[in-house]
Amino acid sequence: MTSPAEDSREVVTAPPRPRRGVSLREAGPPVALIAIFTVFAALSSQFRTVGNIQNILDAAAVLAVVACGITFVLMMGSIDLSAAGVMATSALAVALLVENNRNDNDLGLIGIVLAVLLAASLGALSGVLLVLLKVPSFMTTLGVSAIGLGLATLMFAGVQPNISDAGLESWAVERLLGFTYLTWIAAGCVLVGWLIQRYTRLGRYAYAIGGAEEVLALSGVKVAPYKVAVFTLAGAFYGLGGVMVTSQLGAGLVQAGKGYDFLAITAAVVGGTLLTGGRGGVLHTTVGVLLIVVLTNGLVQVGVSPYWQGGVQGLIVVAAVAAAVVPLRHRNQVVK
Amino acid sequence: MTLKSRPAIALLSLSLAAIALTGCSEEAAGGSDAAGDSGSCAPEDVQLVGQVRNESNPYEASWLDGGDAFAASVGLEQNRLTYDGDSTKQQEQVRQLLAGDTSCLVMNVLPNGDSDTTPIVKGADQAGAYLVTQWNKPADLDPTDYERWISHITYNGVESGQQIGDALVEAIGGSGGIIALQGVLDTAAAKDRFAGLEATLAENPDVTLLDQQAANFSRAEALEVTKTLLTKHGDDVLGIWAANDDMALGALEALQQAGRAGEVAVVGIDAVPDALTAIEGGEMTATVSSDGPWQGGIGLAIGYCVATGDLAVDDVSDEDRAFFAEQFLITDDNVGEYLTPETDAADFECDNVFNRVAGPLS
Repeated sequence: MTSPAEDSREVVTAPPRPRRGVSLREAGPPVALIAIFTVFAALSSQFRTVGNIQNILDAAAVLAVVACGITFVLMMGSIDLSAAGVMATSALAVALLVENNRNDNDLGLIGIVLAVLLAASLGALSGVLLVLLKVPSFMTTLGVSAIGLGLATLMFAGVQPNISDAGLESWAVERLLGFTYLTWIAAGCVLVGWLIQRYTRLGRYAYAIGGAEEVLALSGVKVAPYKVAVFTLAGAFYGLGGVMVTSQLGAGLVQAGKGYDFLAITAAVVGGTLLTGGRGGVLHTTVGVLLIVVLTNGLVQVGVSPYWQGGVQGLIVVAAVAAAVVPLRHRNQVVK
Repeated sequence: MTLKSRPAIALLSLSLAAIALTGCSEEAAGGSDAAGDSGSCAPEDVQLVGQVRNESNPYEASWLDGGDAFAASVGLEQNRLTYDGDSTKQQEQVRQLLAGDTSCLVMNVLPNGDSDTTPIVKGADQAGAYLVTQWNKPADLDPTDYERWISHITYNGVESGQQIGDALVEAIGGSGGIIALQGVLDTAAAKDRFAGLEATLAENPDVTLLDQQAANFSRAEALEVTKTLLTKHGDDVLGIWAANDDMALGALEALQQAGRAGEVAVVGIDAVPDALTAIEGGEMTATVSSDGPWQGGIGLAIGYCVATGDLAVDDVSDEDRAFFAEQFLITDDNVGEYLTPETDAADFECDNVFNRVAGPLS
């Protein structure tokens, strides 16, 4: 009788210690971000101008939204490679639904919502395939990406749809308090993502699934619907990302999401979200996004030759991740 | 017992199926050898195949449309193939084609990269299919060493890079700063086109290259890079040289977002429809056209002429078997002629198929 009580007392007294550890552990990426920012600011007078900082945040907008979506999947311990295909589908769909040069549609905001819903349904498809057929997420999402690219190619049909919808075009051009609407949308997404992660059952279960899925399942939680929901949510974020790219480029491109899948995963990992799941979060990922965008921008601003940039960027990312995980390292740690 | 024997039965039936298949394909291969004499195909027996990376970019889509136009003009249909820029997938498609009846097969192929050309050429030559390749081939691989690889067509990137470079210099009035957006740095197209720009710069010492960045032929990357460079160099940027139109269009978006649309001259290469519209609207200065529909038609036309015996491979001069084709500088003076890309049936008549040879490969 006494031993359970002792146990529970231990559990109760335990939290303070990890919490202090967590704050120390998670300081790595923000510190790396500040360090890199400071170095570039010292090296280049152009880098530290207000114009360039606006530029960096504008450039980070799409990646931040996509990475927000992927974070939930990574927290769950799954992986999602469908971003490129889902973004392509939503980019083409939105370009064909708002005012454009291909057809007479002029749905405006409804078109945007429809495109995001279409993307969300592709995300749901990934989740359903994962849950029902027990195919690993790596493969299902790769397949869904191909489906998305296929759908987009069908909609493309040889002629690029250019948008003329004033509302959607203004996203990339009009500014509010110095930042484009895209940047505000991205900030909104990060906020929504953080609220979902922090305050909803979906967000908390995503963590729990990544941490110990079996335990969760054994304690009577039906895990499958939450998995599908997380992939659907991620799909919606990618869809919005695709819409944002369309707004930036003024046209619906099949290549709209090219490279965003791995860039978003990189951003999440650099920010401290682990590929094994159960750790990290939307805010971590946002720091990772900023780190990568600052790096890309800074290397151009200080004038590193384009022939060197790819390699230098890779090196700094690896160094940043290594520095960030130093506090996380412990004896007997297994890294795969 | 039954459980154990099941895999064995499966294995047995699989190997039987394999044997049957081998027998079939051997027969087919034998058939093609018999009818493999050069140039004896009846026009209606010719099979036309056009293969490009994907139909999701306007240039390659227009290429296949040009192939369709030629096929229709001789009463045939083109088999449109795309391989999503995946070398393995391309080789697989070619193998499947060559495993069928190849005696009157004409292929107009865009190899994914230089190294992909070699197996395609060897396979086609062995199977006796007529082949024309475009854009990519290793320098030491020469069509004159092969019976059925009739021609390789490509474009002089140094020339096009210089053509748009000169147009850009003229547009900014002969002096000032420009920036360059390069393609994928390890491709011949990117290297040659940039060499063309360097030739322009050598002739115009008053023009300075403020910065050059790789945007990997991508509209989205060009948008970001241009925005960054515009904040870096500000009003010093008078012109933007882009190694293709997609990047030029990305640069135009960046200028618009920076509120500098119309103040900076932009040039590109490829003549994609949006670029032509931009030139017509005065937002863009120049582009260069390789004439995609012509490329799609000409490869099939050359193969068709040889397959039907109207043209003998031996009569084709060595210079025509690997050549730079003519390309066209498009500015607001002549953009009207290019807005609706069309093929001219006269270009595809057997006497005219080598009319656009601009020079041998160097």
